Amino acid sequence: MGYVLKKEAFDQVIRELGKTYRIYAPVVKTGEGRFTDVDVVRYDFVGSAEEIELDKKSDYAFKELLTPLSETLFYFTENAVKEADKDPREALVFLRSCDLHAVKRLDQIYLANGREQDPFYKRVRDQLHFVLIGCAGSFDNCFCVDMGTNRSESGYVFSVDRSGEDYFCDVKEDAFRALFAAEGAEADVTPRYVTENPVHVSVPETVPVSIYKHELWDEYTARCINCGRCNFVCPTCTCYTMQDVFYTDNGRVGERRRVGASCMVDGYTNVAGGGQYRRTNGERMRFKVLHKIHDFRKRFGYDMCVGCGRCDDVCPEYISFSACINKVEKAVREEAADHE
Amino acid sequence: MSNPYIPFPSEILEVIQHTAKEYTFRMKYVGEVKPGQFFEVSMPKYGEAPISVSGIGPDYVDLTIRKVGRVTGEVFEHYAGQSLLLRGPYGNGFDIALYEHGEVVVVAGGTGVSPVRGVISALAETSDAGDKHVIVGFRSPDDMLFRADLKDWAEKLDLILTVDGAPEDYTGNIGLVTKYIPDLPLRDPATAQAVVVGPPPMMRFSVQGLLQKGFKEENIWVSQERKMCCGLGKCGHCRIGMNYVCLDGPVFNYTQSKDMLD
Amino acid sequence: MDVNMKKLKKNAFRNSKVRGETASRIRIPGGVINAKSMAKIAEIAENYGNGTIFVTNRQGVELPGIKMEDIPVVNLALQEIIDDSGVNQEERGQGYPAAGTRNVAACPGARLCPFGCYDTTAFARKMDKAIFPNNLHFKVAFTGCSNDCAKVRMNDFGIIGMTEPQYDKDRCVGCEQCVKYCQKRSVGALSMVNGKVVRDTDLCIGCGVCVAYCPTRAWTRSKEHYFRLVLLGRTGKQNPRLAEDFIKWADEESILKIVKNAYAYVEEYIDPNAIEGKEHVGYIVDRTGFDEFAKWVMEGVELPEKAEVTSRIYWGGKRYDRSNNLK
Repeated sequence: MGYVLKKEAFDQVIRELGKTYRIYAPVVKTGEGRFTDVDVVRYDFVGSAEEIELDKKSDYAFKELLTPLSETLFYFTENAVKEADKDPREALVFLRSCDLHAVKRLDQIYLANGREQDPFYKRVRDQLHFVLIGCAGSFDNCFCVDMGTNRSESGYVFSVDRSGEDYFCDVKEDAFRALFAAEGAEADVTPRYVTENPVHVSVPETVPVSIYKHELWDEYTARCINCGRCNFVCPTCTCYTMQDVFYTDNGRVGERRRVGASCMVDGYTNVAGGGQYRRTNGERMRFKVLHKIHDFRKRFGYDMCVGCGRCDDVCPEYISFSACINKVEKAVREEAADHE
Repeated sequence: MSNPYIPFPSEILEVIQHTAKEYTFRMKYVGEVKPGQFFEVSMPKYGEAPISVSGIGPDYVDLTIRKVGRVTGEVFEHYAGQSLLLRGPYGNGFDIALYEHGEVVVVAGGTGVSPVRGVISALAETSDAGDKHVIVGFRSPDDMLFRADLKDWAEKLDLILTVDGAPEDYTGNIGLVTKYIPDLPLRDPATAQAVVVGPPPMMRFSVQGLLQKGFKEENIWVSQERKMCCGLGKCGHCRIGMNYVCLDGPVFNYTQSKDMLD
Repeated sequence: MDVNMKKLKKNAFRNSKVRGETASRIRIPGGVINAKSMAKIAEIAENYGNGTIFVTNRQGVELPGIKMEDIPVVNLALQEIIDDSGVNQEERGQGYPAAGTRNVAACPGARLCPFGCYDTTAFARKMDKAIFPNNLHFKVAFTGCSNDCAKVRMNDFGIIGMTEPQYDKDRCVGCEQCVKYCQKRSVGALSMVNGKVVRDTDLCIGCGVCVAYCPTRAWTRSKEHYFRLVLLGRTGKQNPRLAEDFIKWADEESILKIVKNAYAYVEEYIDPNAIEGKEHVGYIVDRTGFDEFAKWVMEGVELPEKAEVTSRIYWGGKRYDRSNNLK
């Protein structure tokens, strides 16, 4: 059932929902970008509709709620281990179709890779409901259409598309209907979605082992500065590193946290005794790219990358992930031709 | 829902020093565990690290730990009677039944001996121990681990103990483990099983040597060492291609591991 | 030929070695000029000069080869450029009313440069509005960060941008890139303690390198733009020297006031016999002592709580007036 609401009415809905739910949405953080007087759009909790950024693509993804950049798991004392507290309230997360598809990828790793579910992830995940932000058009660097993530027809409690002063909402969840019915008028609403991106990728069906050693990666050894921004903004990157903090000299009292990790950044593969597995940035790029468009699919049956293009948006060296996918595809095609 | 991240305290029954840096902690543990599996061990002042099971007893596991980073010798030597926090065991481990009968070659280097110590000890107790060939290499005589075991193995099976380098007065074998592979007295390499564990270059060249000797790829088993932060398939550090070393390994058949490129 | 050279120079024309010729000196405060004005400058150079444009060290331009008798018509032609730049004028059509206080220079700053901590051009223009026209010889320059690409330490008043890095430990993953880049590109004020970053607030120069390299926005810039004010650097024949730090974590308003106050101080203490009424501020301070200077310039200045002010400055530099012996 769809509804169309005026600005004040939509704000009223958000305020009302705010009484029950924590509302997590993209927000413009004024002056908090890398450069002076430059804003950044990232996720935070909001109290009103006005704070929600509905027009821009967020620079950082919603995943920070599910997989915080830094999260204390528990505190340990001489004899006991105590789990850290969590805000138990349910949350509404505003996100676009690509990100809603990313949730499935996060769930895949944290809930369905290996026998054990991740309880720290799960206890947050169980509290989440998603609000789909419609896309009126493609943003820079998006390639969601080719990744098949441009449209979401389910998985959200309601959607929102703003057009001028009108807010169009497709309400999926019965429990939310009364609230919208009270504030707006019924209407036929289909969330807007992107049907054409300027950027196109061809994901190779299979990547032979020879491509792992292909010279195409050398370019990235020279260009990449292994800063890991691509990983930290990615809605599907899930890696973390365990960090133990010791309050006492004997090292027996402290806390254990996990922090976001990047396969591009130094130290990711370091093992005790100094071993390191991927030293060059080209090798790291290959590890990351093939995971997103090949290795993940081999394990789980679908691609990890959702084509949001945030990695392209953020790269200080203007390395394009989508361009790299196409380079891989070309290399695969050429190798196949050579073997014929 | 029980939380797999929460470690359990385990009493340190004994601490055995092997070298200036390597110690074996005999930890109280009752439960199913296989050689090649690993525990996540919380070392005070260091943090959690994945440590291979280097020995298994009825009520204990041995964990051989190399002293690195901020951890001091004092931390290592004064812990008997106290406890460490453990999680695990994780990983698949070795399937010892595979190596019980017939010819077997184990090639292990340095700390790579830890995960196969249980395998070698089992081989030593088999009825055809004479068909079990074990090549163990260390960097130098000072780096040797499990000296008592080495002596025991030498008596029971075909052990070649070698060091990469040694002082002039050293009378034992000197040379890389790969040097001894061509001359292994095997009746039928095509049916023999092999286990290879050690630093990546050592594993690569040892496997090459075994293949040249006539081993079949599907009869070669390797164990991978990676930075495993969780042991649960979540942290991502140990992924190689589509495989997670902590879930699908650390022991892999060579037919699989040959295509696992870092 | 009867030309009042004092008046000519005050009108921003230059004494030339070619008799009867002069050069028009055009101010470009903050170093940014509209392309339209630049085209006009080119036109004047073609029509009245020798067809060349000299780009000065202080980001102005000079048009050489202008006949002295063309000064009035050149001044008329300059009007469009003066209007466009917003530079203060006394009488329309009469060109620039002073030349003593030099063009206020600036590096590209935050309009372009990733490291710039503030809009240097905007502040330079604001300063120019506050201090020009004036015949006293003042050199003021703005630079976006501690790299000091504008070389403000060779000016009487140098303004260096600062940001106070804001740290959100909950967004920090301990990747240590800020620590590495602070070490390599700045002063090494950051260190890791228990997986998080600790900033040595004494050592930190507010360059913002940590912010620029942080991959997670754990480091962000302070809402406030801060400045380091360095004093009385100079080139010249007697005692060239670099400017020394006077205040760090200063605000815009205080800096404007301090520079304006300095004019009153100079008027009070300038050598009445100074040739052409030109004496570097620094030499006057060498005579009166720094305390007296500080008393005058700090008159009515209310610094933010954060600001740190030095009570003593010692300048170094070469003393050619004492020794020129290299053996």
